[in-house]
Amino acid sequence: MRMFTIVISILTLYGVLDLSVAPASWHMDLAKIGLENIAIGVHATALSNFFALLVAMSFMIISITTYHYKLSKGFYFLLYLLTASLMLIVYSADYLLFFIGWEVMSITTYLLLSYTLTYKALVKYIIFAMASAMSLLAAIVILYSGAHSFLYADAHHAYTALSSTLQTVFVVLMLFALFVKLGMIGLHYWLVDSYSQSHDFFTPFLSAVISKMAVYALIVLLVQVIDIAALPNTWIVYTLALTGLMSSIIANFKALNEDSIKRVLAYSSIAQLGYIVTVLSFADGMSGALYHSLIHTLVKLLLFINVAGIIYMTSKSKFSELGGLIYRMPQSFVMLLIGIIVLAGMPPLAGFASKYLIYNTLLEHGNLLILSAMMFSSASAFLYIYKLIYGIYLGHPTSKKLESIQEVPLMFLIPQYLLSAILVIIGTFPGLLTGYFNTILVELGIKQLPQEGISVLATQNGSYNGFIVIAAFMVVFMLVLLILLSLRSKVKEAKDRFDIAYCGEVPNEGTHLHYGYSMGKELKRVGFIATILKNSSSHFYEYLSKQLFAFATFFRKIYSGNLSVNFNIAMIFLLVLLLWGLK
Amino acid sequence: MIIFDLLGMLLTAYFVGFLYYGLYRNITARFQRRIGPTVLQSFFDSIKFFSKDESTSHGWMFYLGPVIMTTGAVMTLFFIPFFYESESFRGLSQYGNLFVVLYLIMLGPLGNAMGVGVSGSPFAAMGITRGLTRMFAMELPFYIAVIALMSINHSADIATIAANQTTINAFAYPLLFIGALFSFIAMMGNSPFDVVGAPVEVYSGPAAEFSGKFLGLLMSQSSIMSFAKLVLMVNLFLGGAGGFIELLVKTFILFLFVIAFGSIYGRFKTPQSVDFLVKVPTAIAVAGLLLATLGGQ
Repeated sequence: MRMFTIVISILTLYGVLDLSVAPASWHMDLAKIGLENIAIGVHATALSNFFALLVAMSFMIISITTYHYKLSKGFYFLLYLLTASLMLIVYSADYLLFFIGWEVMSITTYLLLSYTLTYKALVKYIIFAMASAMSLLAAIVILYSGAHSFLYADAHHAYTALSSTLQTVFVVLMLFALFVKLGMIGLHYWLVDSYSQSHDFFTPFLSAVISKMAVYALIVLLVQVIDIAALPNTWIVYTLALTGLMSSIIANFKALNEDSIKRVLAYSSIAQLGYIVTVLSFADGMSGALYHSLIHTLVKLLLFINVAGIIYMTSKSKFSELGGLIYRMPQSFVMLLIGIIVLAGMPPLAGFASKYLIYNTLLEHGNLLILSAMMFSSASAFLYIYKLIYGIYLGHPTSKKLESIQEVPLMFLIPQYLLSAILVIIGTFPGLLTGYFNTILVELGIKQLPQEGISVLATQNGSYNGFIVIAAFMVVFMLVLLILLSLRSKVKEAKDRFDIAYCGEVPNEGTHLHYGYSMGKELKRVGFIATILKNSSSHFYEYLSKQLFAFATFFRKIYSGNLSVNFNIAMIFLLVLLLWGLK
Repeated sequence: MIIFDLLGMLLTAYFVGFLYYGLYRNITARFQRRIGPTVLQSFFDSIKFFSKDESTSHGWMFYLGPVIMTTGAVMTLFFIPFFYESESFRGLSQYGNLFVVLYLIMLGPLGNAMGVGVSGSPFAAMGITRGLTRMFAMELPFYIAVIALMSINHSADIATIAANQTTINAFAYPLLFIGALFSFIAMMGNSPFDVVGAPVEVYSGPAAEFSGKFLGLLMSQSSIMSFAKLVLMVNLFLGGAGGFIELLVKTFILFLFVIAFGSIYGRFKTPQSVDFLVKVPTAIAVAGLLLATLGGQ
């Protein structure tokens, strides 16, 4: 089954690559089978090929890690079905097939999550997924009423044919549906629990790919349906910009308060998607959004697989239970280091390239306060990013077991090596993908990125040379290291991990030394951060569910299940109808 | 030859940085009615650290921490042009703009944080937490001011911003300058925002575990980094420099201000400094940004 999955994933990747080279489409009018005015179709555009590539690549990478897990056949089957539904979402040429794909995706994800989630988390997921799907369906039906067609090709026409009230309703429903899937703040209630409790091998897929489907749908909505370029400074633009911004800032601070590794990464996903949503509020922010989608997919696969490896080896998933693993798992440490450098958006690696595009778009449009807030949010992420590596690999081991742990198995390392190689290459040659992204931008009718060679990432505002940055970094690094090594002074290795400066005392086995993992908690003393940490959407949803229960209790009094009561109600109902009819 | 150019920048920053560090100790002493060490004392200290017989290490990552930090400082220096019009001493600045510099400034401390973390000293990790916490707060007013300048000049190129100043930006946009100045004091690690090192009363701070040549390296990078930040600030707000004399005069004036400010005010706790930085300087910088961008239209 494991080998079969790897073979299937490679075939999927091959198929997607084949479609990217030779575009194809298929359309069918359902009038033939008696459904008037309904045409469906699939097509392989440059945009859908890009997202299909993300899906296929992620599928292949996680199928390598399945090698070490004993999963049931049902799990594999659902995974195939999920991938197929994702392909349907990206390749569909109309909203009908898109909705079918979306629904299958939501249900198969539910079933896959049901293997490991607690009942409460599962209920949260399905309620939000269904709310998202229903609101999407309503939006699609409204759009259909405009031009009696589900096709994307007619969508802009259909949208303009709607009355302005219906346009607003359509956009609100659509954005609600997509924001739920993206886990924008306030609607992220389901996301953190689902990510943190899902199967370790499935979480990378959940974070890297499924959230990207909402990004894809958002791009289709904004470019092909609404045509955002023609509507600057409308409420849609501000909603997107502010929702994305608030999500990234709040999620970055919320992540500080978490002890579970996967919960921190879940919040980090929300924050990164927040950047994408913000930049999508400008039509020419598409390049930044696509670039960041790619980088986020790669880096979240890397980080979640790394964490899965840690959990596989130690069966611990909290910072407070880990620590000091660096010299036991040096390869994993280096992979996570690359991952966090990219996540932080530091210059030598790929994370900076996408952030650079995003920042430049915002600067160009003169959205200076949003840009400042976004850079602030990005800087505030360093704290949990450092906690991520400190809590697991640095500091001290918190239990005896951790001192005899081995490096993670090869099948966890292979995908990590692959991903970090891609991230380093993109960081070195940030202009490598400009041509590819330009084909998508041309298709969407958006201003292209200037091309100035593979090592330069150019924007209208200026460019930076990734190759020079990384080469200079390496040269300076080597020189400094050589100077340090060539000094006369000898280096003495510390005797053991207790050989540290400790206020003149000597720590021993019993001394608790790994308390650095809870860093960031003292920020509760800062006013605005305390406000963010104290307030939570869960209060609202708990209130809502309490009210619903109260209503259900009341309703149960009337509809008590007692036959005579039911009969009486039916009689009263009939009487009312009769009186109404007589009048 | 770009190699000589870079070497020249590095040596200038190294020696001027140490000179300034010596002056810092000397001038602070005068504020406190002491005589203080000689100006070259810090330089001698670093040479002494480099020639120590032994230094303790906690494995390869501990070794790399100070190396990455020094690399970060040198890289930051290379991407900041010294003069606005000269062909020489502009380093690698044509290959990356202000966004690159803003991130490179943070590269070193993060690299060093790995080295500190691996040493296992909980007090050192405490210093890192303070540093990272203070970092995002201190960047905010600076970002706002810098972004406003980028928008006004329609460029993210440092040399262009430096050359574009007919009246220097500090006078043309005083609110932006004041906002950025608070951040700058924090970036220089000066009081009232110097809780990270907390050099006197607490046995903590990122440098707690480093000894011998590691400490020497950290000291050297600190002077290089200080000079790089001073040059950046001069370029952005004080009209840049046309020659060495102008550069030295302007950086020294700025440096003197930072020292004087630090000598007068006491130290904030970490949450206090975060609270202060996101309120007062940020409000000033936002006001400056609104005035600068709306007033121009």
